[in-house]
Amino acid sequence: MADNRYMYEVTYIVNAVLNDDQLRGVAQRIRKTIEENGGEVIDVDEWGNRRLAYPIKKKRNGYYVNLYMTAPGSIIPRLERMLEIDEDVLRYITLRMDTKMIKHYEQSKQTGAPQPA
Amino acid sequence: MEPRRKPQGGDDAPEEKVPGMEKVEYIDYKNTELLLRFLNEQGKILPRRITGITAKQQRQLTRAVKRARHLALIPFVSDTVR
Repeated sequence: MADNRYMYEVTYIVNAVLNDDQLRGVAQRIRKTIEENGGEVIDVDEWGNRRLAYPIKKKRNGYYVNLYMTAPGSIIPRLERMLEIDEDVLRYITLRMDTKMIKHYEQSKQTGAPQPA
Repeated sequence: MEPRRKPQGGDDAPEEKVPGMEKVEYIDYKNTELLLRFLNEQGKILPRRITGITAKQQRQLTRAVKRARHLALIPFVSDTVR
């Protein structure tokens, strides 16, 4: 069965109450899941602690991480399941990037990543 | 954002351009500053009649806003007066 590789953008919010070691642990777990399923992490952009626009699981702050990878499509259900189960991940979004998004990504990379203010 | 009226002169009147939005191909959910320009104080998406952007961009805007809301970058509802 053809399992084409695509470029994906994954953004997730980690419980900001965790300490640095635990945060690193979450990032490693995610990276491991990606790599074990044939994905390759291209770029990781940690936005750091931000105030959430509304509380999630009673928390007002979250640690944002924005990640880019190439991976086969079959990775998505596995990665999403892992993120769903992980108690430290408050929210996530996985997007398959189309040509326009890739173009936009490359442009914003040159001009410095546009982080949400 | 200040209301931008579509020209009232009938079908043949050209639509007013939105400054800075002419060549935008992809509206990014991460760009909250941009998104907020197209929301009212309550956090609702303004209609195209007011925003003045192209239909294509408006659809992208809607998507981007929904993604940004999901990630708690912008609120679903703000200002709970009363």
